[in-house]
Amino acid sequence: MKQIALYGKGGIGKSTTSANLSAALSQQGLDVLQIGCDPKRDSTRMLMQGTLIPTVMDLVRERGDRALSLDEVVFRGFNGVRCVEAGGPEPGVGCAGRGIIATFQILERLGALSADVVVYDVLGDVVCGGFAMPMREGYAEEVYLVTSGELMSLYAANNICKAISRLSSRARSRCRLGGVICNAKNLPREEELVAEFSEKIGSSMIQFIPRDQVVQQSELNRKTVIQFTPDSRQAGVYRELAEKIMENRRLDIPTPLEMEDLEDLAYAYST
Amino acid sequence: MPTPRDDGCTLTGALSVTTEIRDCATIIHGPAGCAHHNFSLLHALHAARDRVAPPALISTDMSEKEVIFGGEPLLEETLLQALSHHPEIVCVLSTCVAATIGDDVEAICHVPRTTPVLHIPTGGFLGGGFLSGHMEALRALSRLAANGEKALSVNLIGEKTLEYEVSEHFREVSRILQSMGVPVNARFVCATSVPEIRRLGNASLNILRDPSMVPLGRSLEDDLGIPFIESFPLGIEGTLRFMEEVGEALSIETSHAIANEEALQHEMVRTFSSLKGKRVRFSTQYPADGSSRLGYELADLFDLEVHEEGNPVPVPDPFPVGTNGIRRLLHRWKRGCHA
Repeated sequence: MKQIALYGKGGIGKSTTSANLSAALSQQGLDVLQIGCDPKRDSTRMLMQGTLIPTVMDLVRERGDRALSLDEVVFRGFNGVRCVEAGGPEPGVGCAGRGIIATFQILERLGALSADVVVYDVLGDVVCGGFAMPMREGYAEEVYLVTSGELMSLYAANNICKAISRLSSRARSRCRLGGVICNAKNLPREEELVAEFSEKIGSSMIQFIPRDQVVQQSELNRKTVIQFTPDSRQAGVYRELAEKIMENRRLDIPTPLEMEDLEDLAYAYST
Repeated sequence: MPTPRDDGCTLTGALSVTTEIRDCATIIHGPAGCAHHNFSLLHALHAARDRVAPPALISTDMSEKEVIFGGEPLLEETLLQALSHHPEIVCVLSTCVAATIGDDVEAICHVPRTTPVLHIPTGGFLGGGFLSGHMEALRALSRLAANGEKALSVNLIGEKTLEYEVSEHFREVSRILQSMGVPVNARFVCATSVPEIRRLGNASLNILRDPSMVPLGRSLEDDLGIPFIESFPLGIEGTLRFMEEVGEALSIETSHAIANEEALQHEMVRTFSSLKGKRVRFSTQYPADGSSRLGYELADLFDLEVHEEGNPVPVPDPFPVGTNGIRRLLHRWKRGCHA
């Protein structure tokens, strides 16, 4: 079983990338489980033809954590990809991080965490202990950072590197950085910038995903790109990403950059 | 003057106050365990003072569900339940967990109601300990009092309701005040009623239990215009000095009362004359500075030689209050010396 986690700044395209990655992996004949670890709960929406599936936390809120069964939290989407949403509290109350921890405990208890590939799609702005749960022992061993060339997006990715390098110093931790996925915003020299950033943190850019209208069109049609326009160039890019991730053997402990270095780097590409 | 006794659970410190108020319901917003072990402790200590009614505590019984989704609705529900018993006031104490997830306890308490609902922040991990809980609770309760017309009377501030001999200490300080014609206006708080708290502002002087209460003494001075004395009377000289200080603060004539107290002390020394010339050692492990100083005062008084091979005699912390406190202690010393 391969377990991977996609982390990145909110709104950077983690869910789109994850859903298309899961769809592409499923077309390789793999049994895929995608787990959305974000209280926004929209990670698996495109795999589920636009439906927001009930979240684990919704069900816990309604009837406690004891009366749940596997088929109430796991839903089959496009091409058999199994989908779970952790969910969380209403914005502004409670503790979403604890919600993620509780979700993992429930999924463990229900024996839900088995597949050829488990894809964790994780909110990356807030990495408290709860949101670092997917990086802990027994879960994702490979983290992929999703970022554009924008400074704040690189900044969030750099912060996640700090979490990875901290966690990887624990004796039994096997969590490593698998690579950086550039989800482009169409900035000038964006690919070069993200590639250089990746090298500077001691990793590599595993895939460049260009900005393409079909992503938007697919989402408006409530589908992944893989399902909506299987023959498009963009679908090809996601399939390439899926292949590279399955073949990837390069796992690194990243060395996060200082804020000044990160700024200098972004500045150098800004003109 | 923090001591190891002042560390510990902030919540317990606040509960040592709120459970001493008659007709006060205390809500503990947190997991049941926070209420349980405190309930056991308070019930046992109250029973030792012949108070058999169990402390009026309600736990919101917070679970992981509230931690994730927020505990405010549960607190509101519990508050309604508490109010349905028509207490005079409700105190809402937060816990570490409630403070961690950021439940807005203050906002819930702030809703205007006929019954006052006081929030006492007691998230222990935020620093402080038993003493800060004790002080926070008193500070919150002091807001029930108004700055009133001053009468010749005093308030007793910050009695340590869970300490050994708390009633004896109170009786002794009251006796000494009585001998000077000074009544106690309010005990803030120990076995206290809500009206007693409301009239806190009518006293002319606050007498703090010990110097650890000085920050509270200062804020009561600012809010209610009442000056304070730092401690209950301790030791032979200290008791007489306490009487002088009270007399000065209240501008009353005390020489007669002081002379009587001195006579009482002389009579006491005669009663224990069999102690004279004995060899003693202080048996209390790690005695507090203040207590061992007061121990030496007594040793001098009876010409005792303090020597490591002497008879074991205790110098307790807290040191017993007033002349009668010393009398109780001397009984123990006498037994220790087989005198």
